[in-house]
Amino acid sequence: MGALLRIAAKDLAVLVRDKAAVLVMLAMPLGLVFILGSALGPSAGAGFDAKVAIVDLDSGPAGTRFVEGILAAEGLDEVFDIEVRSDVGEVRRDVSRGDLQAALVIPDGVSEAVAVGAPAVLEVLQDPGSQIAAGMWAGVARATASAASAEIVARRVVAQQALSRGTTPPVDLAPIVVSIEDTEVDTASRISAVGYYTAGMTGMFLLFGAMFGAFAFVRERREQTFMRMIAAPVPAWAIVGGKATGVLLATVGQFVVLLAGTSALFGVRWGAHPAAAVAVGVAESACAAGLAMVLAGIGTSERSIGAIAPAVIMLFAATGGAMLPVEALPAALRPLQVVSPVYWAVQGFLDVMRGASWAEVSTNVATLSGMAVVFLTFGIWRVSRR
Amino acid sequence: MTAARPIVEARGLWKRYGDVAAVDGIDFSVGEGELFGLLGPNGAGKTTTISMLACLIAPTSGTIVVDGHDCLTEPMAVKRTLGIVPQEVALYPTLSAAQNLAFWGRMYGLRGASLRSAVDEALELVGLAERAHERIERYSGGMKRRVNIAAGILHRPRVLLMDEPTVGIDPQSRNHILETVRRLNDDGVTVVYTSHYMEEVEALCDRVAIMDHGKIIASGTVRELSDLVGGLDVITVVADGASEADAAALKGCEGIAEADVSDDGLRLLAPRGGSALASVVRMLEGRGVRIRSLTVTEPDLESVFLHLTGKTLRD
Repeated sequence: MGALLRIAAKDLAVLVRDKAAVLVMLAMPLGLVFILGSALGPSAGAGFDAKVAIVDLDSGPAGTRFVEGILAAEGLDEVFDIEVRSDVGEVRRDVSRGDLQAALVIPDGVSEAVAVGAPAVLEVLQDPGSQIAAGMWAGVARATASAASAEIVARRVVAQQALSRGTTPPVDLAPIVVSIEDTEVDTASRISAVGYYTAGMTGMFLLFGAMFGAFAFVRERREQTFMRMIAAPVPAWAIVGGKATGVLLATVGQFVVLLAGTSALFGVRWGAHPAAAVAVGVAESACAAGLAMVLAGIGTSERSIGAIAPAVIMLFAATGGAMLPVEALPAALRPLQVVSPVYWAVQGFLDVMRGASWAEVSTNVATLSGMAVVFLTFGIWRVSRR
Repeated sequence: MTAARPIVEARGLWKRYGDVAAVDGIDFSVGEGELFGLLGPNGAGKTTTISMLACLIAPTSGTIVVDGHDCLTEPMAVKRTLGIVPQEVALYPTLSAAQNLAFWGRMYGLRGASLRSAVDEALELVGLAERAHERIERYSGGMKRRVNIAAGILHRPRVLLMDEPTVGIDPQSRNHILETVRRLNDDGVTVVYTSHYMEEVEALCDRVAIMDHGKIIASGTVRELSDLVGGLDVITVVADGASEADAAALKGCEGIAEADVSDDGLRLLAPRGGSALASVVRMLEGRGVRIRSLTVTEPDLESVFLHLTGKTLRD
């Protein structure tokens, strides 16, 4: 056992001096979490702020009522930065440049059309690059138009009824009020993009420890240090076990650094049960140790392992939801998920982030542990045949 | 045979890879405290023999006994007796010399103060104590070879197996290594030294076994082996355009016992080398061979090998 641990400790010492390994195992996942998380999701606490405009070319009572109705709408100013402009050409140019996300144009003659009961058409200019904000502004315009139409119909009905009774219709009705209702939803179980990619990249990059472990194995064979170990009075099981334990310790260390790093740098919340996260991380690290033995058993050189390992790991990652949510996979590929250690690890990490306890991720841990046993058994068999 | 108690004994040793016999039924023994050489060209079977002695590969048949322990049945006891210096520099380039040696010492069960003193002594012996904490990757080829030896002697083995320890290094480092081997042997370590450098084996070893094609074709002290060529002198001819036909023609010359083509000319054996020179020059000039130099030397292992196999060690 002593020799096993000394071989593992030596492998760790060699690995931490390998700049390529440190880059791939630590810098790359942290960098990718930052880039993907920042690109695909808003950062925490950032508000939604869209710049829009209203152009009233009508100048009649209907146009004025539209403008006043929108400006008076409660809560709209928290979502939109609304400008009242007069030059429609300038507004069109600003929307096309992206300086405005959308604009509502009330054309000339709307009041006259409304007065005689003719159809009135409003125009919403939208920036195709800001579909969400422009769509929301279009929705506001439609709501305002619907409210105005309803008011007009109501006026006519009331006027006709007054006329039929021989009484005088009321001078005015209550002003149109368009408002946005705020409904707060429960976001406790929602995982930010940064959180998702933390789980994904951690699940994927823990397996890269296997590649560097396999590199170390073939390097030892090539440089005869492996032969020198066999020539020492150390049992074969301690040598192979030491190599596998070295990978296990390296990937567990990598996991701890990624867990602490993503928490400190990106504010990722790893849930209320860190032990559950560690259990999933250690189980995947055991998979990495087994995969290292498989790669060392089937690869003959660093070049061949360097070709095989990334392909296998990327396949596991793609089918396991490290890059995109597993729901986005075509149905035909989904059965592959169950044989991907990345899938069980990523789902486990995501569950832990949502608050799952150790017991709730025990299936993931057990599955990963089973995979580790299979990899180790096959890998040690292959290595021993050499 | 040796007068000292045999500490390594190989009997009927075979190693086959398919139809190829890498080691072809050899027998030898090495006496305790002896410096024993295995001399032969590349591919002669020296490394395979060393690997079997070190329990790294199992012989196809035959037995190896080291210090009373059988390699097949008591490999751990054999390994504890042995130190090995492999042909390659078997060290971790990104670790320092001291870190490498500490690791290899631990593999042989050294701990604590005894490990530290063993590391210091080994580095002192190979002359690298002052650079103990530098990474191996920053060392020259010769210095790496010296640390490679230090890793093999840390645990004070009774038998040291050295497989071509001086390949590809500068003369100064080679001399240092040869001196280290002598000192180890003087301290009582039995050394089995393989090389294809005749001069090294001749200068170092008490007894030598000459290997070719997996077989031991001769063994004994350097003197005994030299006698095999009947005290013949070696005439080395450096010449342009020498051919097998020239060598064959020289064999028919009076006073020439053997003639063979070498890398840069011809190599001849003659009972009296000095007297044969005139006829050699006449013969070669008559055949249009341009002689650049001629030297006559006393019999050595190279001439023995040439005599026994008809080729040079570097062929």
